[in-house]
Amino acid sequence: MNSMEGRVAGDQPVSSFTFTGNWREYLPIALTNFLLTLATLGFYRFWAKARERRYLWSRTHFIDDAFEWTGTGKEMFVGFLIVMAAFIPAILVINILAQALIMRGQLIAGGVLIAVIYAGLFYLINVALFRALRYRLSRTWWHGIRGGSNDSGWRYGLSAIWRTLAGAAPLGLLIPWTMASLWNERWNAMSFGPHPFRADARFERLMGRWLLAYLGPILAGGLAAVLVASTVASSTSQGSPLEAVYTLMMSLVVAVAIFYVVFLFLGLCYYALFFRTVAGSTSVAGLEFGFTARTWDWFKLILGNIALVLVTLGVGALFISYRNYSFLVRHMEAYGLVDLDLLTQSRTKAPSDAEGLADAFDIGAF
Amino acid sequence: MQKVWPTPSISAPSDPMQGWLYDGVTAVRRTVRVERDGSGWRLLLEEGDAESLDPSRLQPVETRGETEIYGWKDRPGWRLGLYKPLDPDFAAALPRMTIYGRWIDRIGLWRAAGIGIAASAALLLLVNRLPDLLAPLVPFSWEQKYGDALLGDADARLCAAPTGQKALDAMAARLSPSAGHYKVRVADIPIVNAVALPGGNIVIFKALLDEAEGPDEVAGVLGHEIAHVENRDVTRALIRQYGFSLSLSALGGPVGGNIETLSAARYSREAEARADGGSIAALARARISPLPTARFFERLAAAEKGAGGLAEPLAYLGSHPLSETRRQRFVASARKGAAYRPALSAQEWLQLREICATPRKK
Repeated sequence: MNSMEGRVAGDQPVSSFTFTGNWREYLPIALTNFLLTLATLGFYRFWAKARERRYLWSRTHFIDDAFEWTGTGKEMFVGFLIVMAAFIPAILVINILAQALIMRGQLIAGGVLIAVIYAGLFYLINVALFRALRYRLSRTWWHGIRGGSNDSGWRYGLSAIWRTLAGAAPLGLLIPWTMASLWNERWNAMSFGPHPFRADARFERLMGRWLLAYLGPILAGGLAAVLVASTVASSTSQGSPLEAVYTLMMSLVVAVAIFYVVFLFLGLCYYALFFRTVAGSTSVAGLEFGFTARTWDWFKLILGNIALVLVTLGVGALFISYRNYSFLVRHMEAYGLVDLDLLTQSRTKAPSDAEGLADAFDIGAF
Repeated sequence: MQKVWPTPSISAPSDPMQGWLYDGVTAVRRTVRVERDGSGWRLLLEEGDAESLDPSRLQPVETRGETEIYGWKDRPGWRLGLYKPLDPDFAAALPRMTIYGRWIDRIGLWRAAGIGIAASAALLLLVNRLPDLLAPLVPFSWEQKYGDALLGDADARLCAAPTGQKALDAMAARLSPSAGHYKVRVADIPIVNAVALPGGNIVIFKALLDEAEGPDEVAGVLGHEIAHVENRDVTRALIRQYGFSLSLSALGGPVGGNIETLSAARYSREAEARADGGSIAALARARISPLPTARFFERLAAAEKGAGGLAEPLAYLGSHPLSETRRQRFVASARKGAAYRPALSAQEWLQLREICATPRKK
């Protein structure tokens, strides 16, 4: 019998996902990638990304063996060219047309055309998100088996449009439903080996934090406005108008800063719960996934990234993708048994456009 | 198919190498060993199956601790892990691992970086200089057609009180003998600026007229825009933008985009400096004093100082030279004792300032 336990039993709970990389190993990769990317005006970035992933995947241990990334720089470059050739000329032409219309005073026609461009872009960005996930699974191997999908994602793009509209219509209150149901739709189309992924994330338990993230900034904004008004009022009653303007500027800066921090923190609260929820509702081949990062963990990650960049005068920026990736792996969990005899090779088609679409819009897969 | 090895090994038959195998069909890991088979090699599975193995057809994937991992072309998912040390004869027959990419591995990292930097510099030079060569070859009538198509003539924001327009045309005619080919207009836009658009369409924004303290300041700005038109800077910028910049930024991603933006800004500053030179020459020809224009830049420079002293260190990011530098050029061009005449009569200047009083109707 060939089965592997997702979680190793013992005195201490050991995660089935471990990250075994270290920054000294990664440093030469990051530096040479940066050098070659700079030397080629950015052209090398496809190969740089492939190298980076090859390293990160190989240092991601799952149960008893590491992952392997087999995507190549060449295929990502070709995928990018395909997308550029297919979409960019069209976008450019429509853009020039819209500009000409607006300059001629036909504001409505120009505006409608621009709205069409943005709707088209929104559609393509969502298709790109889907296809990037599919591509990444198809190039991710474990025990000589890969993942993938036979869905092209074009229908998913339409679904994303109507679900976003429906979620935003009641004043944005149902956005958690949009996000959870799109996560489900994406992952239910994916598979690893012969086994489909199953995702059934429910949005109800996200609603509390969504309301917090939604109403919090509004409350904070109101509070900040009152603060600004009162300080300005007190300084206008005494002192010169210049002083009043100065106080207004200063208190505005403080108010915006407070608003921003509150907005970020509450947003993070929501996202932390979102990822714990959706990962916890996703499974494949009898393995249930989990994600353990809490708001505070995310907060530390982001503060750490900022501090790293500041302390190293920018050099640390080379390590941000490394830190983000290892953060994800260190907080991933899986429970259950994998039957290796039944984990056979994937029959999905390996996509040839790589991440072209996602790369064109500069987005990630998760 | 078995391959015959040209040089039979002299060493004694060595111990078989131990390892594991994923066959790419199921996820089960099998224990295997690789041993000599005559002049070649053989892969033996625990279960007793065996097949011949040609090391030159293996693809090194990675070294993980004490294990070397190999793939096999045409067999997706097939992975062979062999524990070190490898048999030297076997290792010698293996292909090299790709590190940076096949081309770069072939020529070496430093040489590749050197070639890359040289090629990039050459490309940037080309992108910056080719528009200079191509722009004069584009007929002005094409540019005019493009300008008309872009602008149309229905812009409600263009001002056209006939007397004001006459004054403006008179000023343009003094500055350039071919001003008749250009369309100089004032637009009711509250920004202190003026632009040269394709096809000799020059638009001065109303706020600039309000800000100017006399017609000579406007003449200096108009001379600058006319110089842009006559230098074909608009065509140049279009060639550069649509011919090169877009593709370079797209291909290069964020890094390429940033480098391109810096290089574009430098190119733009050069064009602006050239246009200032054209303006100075036009003012001199028309016997208009450059000093009011210098004072105009002085006021702009004062505004830049307000930016917290960052203007100078950030100058290399800007699309225009620093106002202070430009002011000095205009001051230096003034000739003592020259008989300067105002760009417009007092009445014309009044009419020009009132050009937006009756908005244009189509």
